[in-house]
Formats: sequence, C-alpha cells, structure tokens
Amino acid sequence: MNTSKNIVLCSVVASICIFLCGAADVSSSDALKEGIYQVGKLKPVDSTLKVKLGDRAPDFTLMSLSGKPVSLRDYRGKKNVMLSFVPAAWTPVCSDQWPGYNIAQEEFDRFDTILLGITVDNIPTLYSWTKSMGTLWFPVLSDFWPHGQVAKKYGVLRSNGTAERAIFLIDKKGKIRYIDVHDINKRPPLETILNELEKLGR
Amino acid sequence: MQKGTAGAIQTSAVPFLLSLHPLFSRHQPRYPLPPGFPRVILEAMKKLPCLTFVILFCACYVSAGAASPEQVYSKAITQARLQLPDDKAAAGYLGIGRKSGTIMLGDIDADIIIVEIFSMYCPYCQRHAPATNKLFDAIQSGTFTREKVKLIGIGVGNSAHEAAFFKKKYGIRFPLFADANSAVLNSLPGVRTPYYFGIRKDGKSLNVFFQQQGAFDDVQTFLKTIVEKSGAPSGGKR
Repeated sequence: MNTSKNIVLCSVVASICIFLCGAADVSSSDALKEGIYQVGKLKPVDSTLKVKLGDRAPDFTLMSLSGKPVSLRDYRGKKNVMLSFVPAAWTPVCSDQWPGYNIAQEEFDRFDTILLGITVDNIPTLYSWTKSMGTLWFPVLSDFWPHGQVAKKYGVLRSNGTAERAIFLIDKKGKIRYIDVHDINKRPPLETILNELEKLGR
Repeated sequence: MQKGTAGAIQTSAVPFLLSLHPLFSRHQPRYPLPPGFPRVILEAMKKLPCLTFVILFCACYVSAGAASPEQVYSKAITQARLQLPDDKAAAGYLGIGRKSGTIMLGDIDADIIIVEIFSMYCPYCQRHAPATNKLFDAIQSGTFTREKVKLIGIGVGNSAHEAAFFKKKYGIRFPLFADANSAVLNSLPGVRTPYYFGIRKDGKSLNVFFQQQGAFDDVQTFLKTIVEKSGAPSGGKR
C-alpha cells in the first residue's frame, strides 16, 4: 500500500513539475538573461525635494567615470545643465534611459545643454554598467561617497539609499528651471525633456 | 503567462480529478464535474483509482504544452492595435486605405509580415538599425518579397515622438509604430529587444511561424529563412 501511495504522490509531483516547466518556458525573464536585477514595482517617489523652481542649484563636485572631478559651477555662464539622477546601475528602467539620451546629443547641443548623469553607484560599477550602453557622450558622475550627498542636497535620496529618477534643468545663470521627480518605475518621455530644453533657450 | 484553452480546462479539472481518488477524497470535498468531461472516463476512474493519476498526468502534460509561445504570440499579435505613425509613406506601403487612426496587423496588405520589436532606448537596436534598413532593401529588391512581404517595427515603451525620433536618427525606411504603454510588449512574454517575428496571414488570423531573439547576422540568409519557413509558394524566387 505504501509503495502504491509513493507512486501516486510521485505522479502528482511529476505532473506539477511538468506543468510548471511548461509555464516557465514562456514567461522566463529576458532581463535576467541580460544581467539586469529585477527590483519589482517600487514606491513611485520616496523623498522630499529640498529645492524648488527658481532656486540657485546647489553646487557639487563629483568624480566622473573618466577619472576627472566635475563641478556644476564649471558650466555656469557657459552651458545649460540637465542633471539626470537615476536610481541604480543594473536595474531595469535605468538601464534603458541613458542609451536613449545617448542618441539625442544633437538635440542637447541644439539647446546648448550638457547632460550630467548621476547615480549613487561607485565608479567600477558605473564603468561596467555604462560600457554595456556603448560610448556615452556625456559625463557620468558617481555620488557614491559620502553616500548620495548630492542626491540628498537636492532632496532626491530615497530611504533605501538609491536616488530618485529625477531630472533638473539648470540654466546658464545656475537657476533651476525645471524639476521632474518621476515615478521611479517609469521613464520620462524624451519629448517632455526636449520641450523643456527648448524653453530654456527662450 | 497567458493560459490557453487547455490550460483553463486543466485548472478546473485538477481539483476534480484529485478529489476522485480515495487518498484525497477523505480530506477534501468532491468538486463538480467540469463541463464536457466524458462520463465513460469518470466511471472507469471510479473503478480504477490509479487511472485518475494517469489522466491527471496527461492533462498536466498536455496543458503545459498547449499554449506554445507561438500560439501566445500569434494571439497577442492578432489582437494588437497600433496607431498609424505620422508618416506619409507608411499607409501607402502597408496598403492601408487611410492615413491615420488605429490599425491591426491583419489590416496590412501582405502575406508575410516581419515585425521588429525594438526600443529607441535599446543600445542593441540602435547598433542594429542600419541592418534593418538593409533588410528592407533586400525585401524591396526581390520580386516575390516586394509583393508579399512587409516589414514594420514596433517601438515598445516608446511614445510616437520617440519612435519617430529613432526613425529620423537612423533614416529607417519602413514604418515604425509606437507602443507607448507597452501593451504589445506585455502581451508577448519573454520578448526583449530586439526581437523578430515572421507572421503569416491566414485569412483573418495571424500566425507566428518564425521568431528570433537578437540581431540577425546576414540579411539575405535571414530573409531567405523567413520566406522558406512561411511555406509561401515563392517558386524559388525571392
């Protein structure tokens, strides 16, 4: 009788396994195959802004991927600046945000704007991650140590130590002209950014 | 995962089948007989409890393979609705009688439709964009393919502006549709960009007969493979 029960139970387990294997074949995550860590759906915004439109943008100096420090004041009187904070390297939405900006250099040039990409990751992580995007035309800055200090200054450091998906447009006088602390789960549309860049030139 | 018909039947049949067996029926109530379940099999199962598990095994096996990726994709692609791009040449190329509004892929005047799932934000798609133009040229240069095959792109998670931006940036010569809210992408489990589908129009239904993850190496080989796999009577011509 015990043997019979074991056979029966094995049949059930085998059936369930076959069913699950069939399901997994269709729904296996493509992103995992690419080395992207799935974070799931996150709280859209998890911080409180510390700056507002019209404020002078807080200055900062961060180490760039090229090994040189980059300061916001370097661009004052020379170029508009778009700060693009993204939450973290190797996460889904972030990994396909900057590659889009990377093919829009002409648009940024047209509006006399430099893009500064910022994350709270360290330089080696940023190196590996951005390498997968190709050659980026804009500086990528590490806000790793002291951890997230620039993100904190702007009020876009989340409670888990990552940054918000946020965009700040700063004009040549150093004033903040546009802020978008975007839903972290979504990518800001390119047209919105280009429209705002156009307004900066007016 | 989208469940097929067999999957739905299986969902209702499993508790019923389990409840028939003496081992389990002591602990759980009998479930109602699923509609359409053959009476003869039911009687046989009552007499031979082990048969329950043979049938359960078969039901699970069949349901696991029932909704194949091709079937899931075919259904999703048949049902997809796309906004015609703001591109004067698109409607003419696709053989659509109007120049704006929503279309379904079945509206496209072609026997075979090749779909590239791409994103403006995908570096692989960016690098591969010139090759897709070569694919379009190869299609247009063959007598059979020019008449029977149409190539389109669907920019998943891309707004109309972003798809148009990609088209302009790389001088893409075939229509690019936007899938701004990722409705198409979400209906295609396991698909990541770039991804290629070969779709055959069988009357009103669309059937995926070819799929490929990632870029293709050789345009001519890629196109030849799709035409051959479609089963279309090309008469050896391309």
